[in-house]
Amino acid sequence: MSDNRLTVQQAVARRAFLGNGLQSAAGLAALACLQRAACGASGSPAVGQSNPRAKRVIFLTQSGGPSQLELFDNKPGLLKWAGRELPDSVRRGQRLTTMTAGQKQLVMPSRVRFRRCGESGAEISEWLPHLQGVVDELCLVRSLYTDEINHAPAMTKFLTGHQLAGRPSMGAWTSYGLGSENSSLPEYLVLISKMQRPSDQPLYDHYWGSGFLPSRHQGVKLRNSREPVLYLRDPDGLPRELRRGMLDGLTELNQQHLEQSGDPEIAARIRQYEMAWRMQTSIPELADLSDEPEEVFELYGPDSRRPGSYAANCILARRLAERGVRFVQLFHPDWDHHSRLPSWCTARCRDTDQASAALVVDLKRRGLLEDTLVIWGGEFGRGVAGQGQWDSIEAGRDHHPRCFTMWLAGGGVKSGISFGATDDFSYNVAVDSVHVRDLHATILDLLGIDHERLVYRHQGLDFRLTGVESAKVIKAIIQ
Amino acid sequence: MLGVQMQRLLCWLTVMFSGCMCAVTIADEPQFSRDILPLLSDRCFACHGPDPSQRKADLRLDTREGATAKVIVPGDAAGSELMRRLTTLDADLQMPPVEAHKPVLTAAEVQLFADWIRAGAPWGRHWAFERPLRVSIPEGRHPVDVLIERQLERAGLTAAAEAPAGVLLRRVSFDLTGLPPTPAELASDLTWNQHVDRLLASPHYGERMAMWWLDAARYADTDGFQADATRDNWPWRDWVVDAFNSNQSFAQFTVEQFAGDLLPNASAEQRLATCFHRNHMTNGEGGRDPEESRVDYVLDRVNTMGTLYLGLTLNCSQCHSHKFDPITQRDYYGLTAFFNSIDEDGRAGRSAKPYLAYESRHVARAVAEAEQLVAERRPREQQARVAAEQPFAVWLEEQRAALRGGAKSWHVLRGALESVEGTLLEQDAEGVIQASGPNPRQDDYRLSAAVGLSRVTGIRLEVYPHASHTRGGFSRGLSGEFILTDIKVQVRQRDSSVVRDISVSGAVADFSPSQKEARSYGDVRGVLDDDPRNGWTTRGAPAIVPHAAVFELTTPLVISADEELVFEMRQRSTDGDSNLGRFRVFVTDEAGPAVRSTGSTPCELLALVEGAPDEALRGQLMEQFLEDFEPHRVARKALAVAESQLREVQAAKRVEVMVLAEKAESRPTFILERGLWDRHGDEVQRGGLSEIAPLNGSGLTRLDLARWLVSGEHPLTARVLVNHLWQLCFGVGLVRTPEDFGVQGERPDQAELLDWLAVECVESGWDVKHLLRLIVTSAAYRRNSDVTSEQRERDPDNRFYARGARFRLPSWMLRDAALHAAGLLNPALGGPPVRPWQPPGVWEENFMGRFTWVPSEGAARHRRTLYAFWRRSIAPTFLFDSAQRRVCEVRSIRTNTPLQALTLLNDENYLEAARSLAVRVAGQSEPLQELSLRLLSRRLRESERLVLQREYDRALGYYRGDADAAKRFLGAESVLSEGQESAVLAALTATASLLLNLDEAVTHE
Repeated sequence: MSDNRLTVQQAVARRAFLGNGLQSAAGLAALACLQRAACGASGSPAVGQSNPRAKRVIFLTQSGGPSQLELFDNKPGLLKWAGRELPDSVRRGQRLTTMTAGQKQLVMPSRVRFRRCGESGAEISEWLPHLQGVVDELCLVRSLYTDEINHAPAMTKFLTGHQLAGRPSMGAWTSYGLGSENSSLPEYLVLISKMQRPSDQPLYDHYWGSGFLPSRHQGVKLRNSREPVLYLRDPDGLPRELRRGMLDGLTELNQQHLEQSGDPEIAARIRQYEMAWRMQTSIPELADLSDEPEEVFELYGPDSRRPGSYAANCILARRLAERGVRFVQLFHPDWDHHSRLPSWCTARCRDTDQASAALVVDLKRRGLLEDTLVIWGGEFGRGVAGQGQWDSIEAGRDHHPRCFTMWLAGGGVKSGISFGATDDFSYNVAVDSVHVRDLHATILDLLGIDHERLVYRHQGLDFRLTGVESAKVIKAIIQ
Repeated sequence: MLGVQMQRLLCWLTVMFSGCMCAVTIADEPQFSRDILPLLSDRCFACHGPDPSQRKADLRLDTREGATAKVIVPGDAAGSELMRRLTTLDADLQMPPVEAHKPVLTAAEVQLFADWIRAGAPWGRHWAFERPLRVSIPEGRHPVDVLIERQLERAGLTAAAEAPAGVLLRRVSFDLTGLPPTPAELASDLTWNQHVDRLLASPHYGERMAMWWLDAARYADTDGFQADATRDNWPWRDWVVDAFNSNQSFAQFTVEQFAGDLLPNASAEQRLATCFHRNHMTNGEGGRDPEESRVDYVLDRVNTMGTLYLGLTLNCSQCHSHKFDPITQRDYYGLTAFFNSIDEDGRAGRSAKPYLAYESRHVARAVAEAEQLVAERRPREQQARVAAEQPFAVWLEEQRAALRGGAKSWHVLRGALESVEGTLLEQDAEGVIQASGPNPRQDDYRLSAAVGLSRVTGIRLEVYPHASHTRGGFSRGLSGEFILTDIKVQVRQRDSSVVRDISVSGAVADFSPSQKEARSYGDVRGVLDDDPRNGWTTRGAPAIVPHAAVFELTTPLVISADEELVFEMRQRSTDGDSNLGRFRVFVTDEAGPAVRSTGSTPCELLALVEGAPDEALRGQLMEQFLEDFEPHRVARKALAVAESQLREVQAAKRVEVMVLAEKAESRPTFILERGLWDRHGDEVQRGGLSEIAPLNGSGLTRLDLARWLVSGEHPLTARVLVNHLWQLCFGVGLVRTPEDFGVQGERPDQAELLDWLAVECVESGWDVKHLLRLIVTSAAYRRNSDVTSEQRERDPDNRFYARGARFRLPSWMLRDAALHAAGLLNPALGGPPVRPWQPPGVWEENFMGRFTWVPSEGAARHRRTLYAFWRRSIAPTFLFDSAQRRVCEVRSIRTNTPLQALTLLNDENYLEAARSLAVRVAGQSEPLQELSLRLLSRRLRESERLVLQREYDRALGYYRGDADAAKRFLGAESVLSEGQESAVLAALTATASLLLNLDEAVTHE
């Protein structure tokens, strides 16, 4: 068994140790679940999963719904449909948003050139030249679909398994299920690209929330400011040695109180203050990229020199992976291209292309890619019909839930393959459909977790990331 | 097979092992409702329960008929198929089956089934669905104690002694008002009952209760989705405070919130009360069907009622009949029918009708408070302006002397040039940059240069036509026009790989056509927003002549000799082919008017005049001077904040509050198949819960629904309410799943007590203060919370109440308590929301700069947390473990994380309190004891005092040696008063902060 993976026994001990009285019922449920997993690990392969391929995840979340038609899903045959109405046989009653429900669904072929690249020969758009260069490391999944057509519910489902806010996010589940490999950093960190443009799709903090799981599993946002984590900096004029003295005094007084009161929660608090102290050193160290050599910035592109940029966040993600953080989630907003695709979508490609590709290369050369799962994708795709005048540069595309493309790399996923396919209109999935909950099941599986086993008792029900409907692990993309 | 057996064996061992922990159980005959039903529900109902759509093998175990027809033979355990299925080792037969992923039954549980079947398998209803009855209590005894002591006796546990007086007063003050006692209150000789009466009569009681109610009612000041628009529902919050303070009966409280608008001659306040059912999130997302949203809101109201009033997970019945509790999907939609004919259309933002135009009596006070702040600050700003006259005159003379040879405000930037897409850029002797070579569709240019000034306040870009460009225009592109989509300003230290972004606040140009559409090219301000769909072009200008744009930095950039300025010009337009051909970049260090116009700067104009400048120019120069005159800059900013606060509260005089109002014509209500808003099933009529608490009749309204809840006949409402009140005082309810009284929820720890209180609730006329008084006057409430190792082993969760309740206080109470102890708390009631201190940039990050939290200043900064503006998508950062205010939440969450430690250590709310505490105790004979009294409500023991004294001395020594650090630690606005030593204050501040972080300080002891 790998030395870094938290064993189930350790996990049980840890949970019993941290569990507080109030959540004892829920805690016991989790405990029982883990004990059963322990049975499985020692006795039966039918119970629980115990063969983790990935130890950690870097999720490059592209918020707004990147267009699969412009980036990954080449449909040259659409040229002959240009400006013609989408056949009902394809549309099959698909709901539209109210933004285009009133207009005719006229097919708008993509104006982008695709290129077959790498040994695998997968087609990637010219708007993503750097990604073209690493295509043999990727697993393109062209057959994702979801049920939601508007941003907030779709993103909420994409990240938490349910369209309404309140469930734990994937990162929180992972933190809950696997715990930490690093005692000086949180288990789940969130990095948001710094943009100047006010976004139409705010990033709600429930996207990285812990829902009904204990709040220590919620994502901690690393901010691009003097204070990478809120309240991390001691106040001006309070030097470290004085702070250390205060903490020692605090511990002594808490210890005295513990002896009198007998409440183990006091012992837990003493430990949390020590962890806070360590984070005050470990996080600024982590966030300070000045020790990165020049060639790293060259690899990730010029924007990587700008703290808070997506590219700089990709370097940070790699640093977090090196430090054993379980789940790192980047958010890059503004992929909601209802108009002006040629300038708007290319602007977001430019922000992200080089750095996304560089991250894969960088992880690989450091030997981290094999146990780090990198995921790139947004909450849904975009429709084949033009929004606005289809043949003008003003046109964009509306939301589309029935098919979209994501890519995965590393972490035990097969490389240089494409999985699934859409119909001639990139409208419906034609082969090997993958619902977002199948993606969830697959990600958990790669992490060594059986998605049916990772449950949490809440409101009298056993909840899981993949929900009540059946979800399948996509075995075909796993090594 | 082996695996399954192993699993069973191990799980049995686990049970046996945990049995050895000797946790207390009171053994007697198995009772159906307590022992059997929960197991049937948890392990069997998913496939053999009330939901017919999921039922397997046509077997139902939720009714006695169903169970005895097939698998249970009453009186004969061995002959019952059920027992065979529970005990078999054959995986094909065992129940629950492996694929259900349900825990297998323990040996003890199997035994329970066997005993129960042998006893004839008596059936019954789930306890919570039977009407509560109460046992009689001996005359003159406290009912709470009689019932708790009975259980203690049966369990053989000994009750702890009463907690010390200071601890108790602190406990009850927090529970009833959310604030700690003052030293004077601690020293008073009131009796316990007098203290309780005093606290219940305090206006802060209503605020404390309102915080509970607002969390449950998912109250927030914004919509929650998409634009997260602000709403003005805060008068409802004040209505709640008033209702609790005047001890309105909970029945009336309920009727008004559910149906105040339907009461005869409804008053404005009664209509205001119905905002309760409008506190749900609203979604105005562009592509969304408003009808879908409207349906969401209707369901949310029913779900909120389910959680808060009924303790039922009604929401489970949205898609199918409830799997565990007898609630059909028809029941559920019958309840939604009460809320389905509100005169609403599913819109959000300022279009979320129906509204009530309301004038709050609390606004006048807020306006007066804001006016006072303006009145304090205006003279300071004027004084600073007057004080500037003299230095300005000197400065002006210096400028005139210096500019005699002609002025040069703008300095050409010369440096390294780069282009991302390959355009060749070359700078000539005059600093003019010319493009040549490849002419890509889009390109980003970057100029990196040493500045040669000690600071930069603005950047000027001049663009020039040239003969080599298309038609002699600005670009080599198709039309000869240029489009600059965005600019970026950065600073890079030599030999460092990292740059920092410099914020640009303004952009002006000599030709900057206004646009019809936000997303097109023209207006120069478009270059500041990172959006390639807008930006600057001079297309349409009458003649081809050079143009200029000036960009003002948000704050002057101080730049050192080893730093370079990087100016990036992004040309990423949709049109493309519009890259600049010829341009020049300048910087200036002059502030104010110089960087707000493309014309001559005030200094340049000054250089041209002989003698004294005229009034207009002098005024411009004064503006420029004041930008750099620190006293005025500070005073002006402070005044601007105060004025803005005043405008804000003045605008709140009359607000539109979201309320309920019935449509003239009702909407028909349908069962929604699989819970989907547009999949209509059968039509349903308004009604109650047919199996639990029916409500029948024609013409039923929301008024009938409210009265059904609080009729006194309902088995759940009163139980659920007293459970909430118990939770407020003990941190947990008698039912520890306050949101679920159903079969899957926990059973009450003290069933007789819960029912006694529920009956008392109804008979007292739903008198909330009376019920709270009953709880906090019990001996059980007043016990010492220290826990012995025996107690911890035998009753780890304190379900028998042999000791007092110990739990971390909610974070909002921690902030309020710190302000109160420090004498900072502004005790005003009601009014528009305020903004306590919060770290800068938090809203901007999630909304990419669309919203900015500007902390309130003056007295408004120190209001209770109840009044803090609540943006639903980002709750105030100084809170943790708080309800999310998205949907109804009734369970307290308490975690213990390093981030909480960091908040309490470093949040400005707490530091400010620590500073203010330091000022108050400095100079007293025993400052450390005084701090302890204010923060812990008790004196320090000697062993504690020694530790604190040591840390105080250490800090004092440090700050005596570093006066500057002391000053910085005490903050810019000095708190020092006459005769106080800054090192002493800084050391006391550090000590107060330490105490604020003590486990005891954050705990309900």
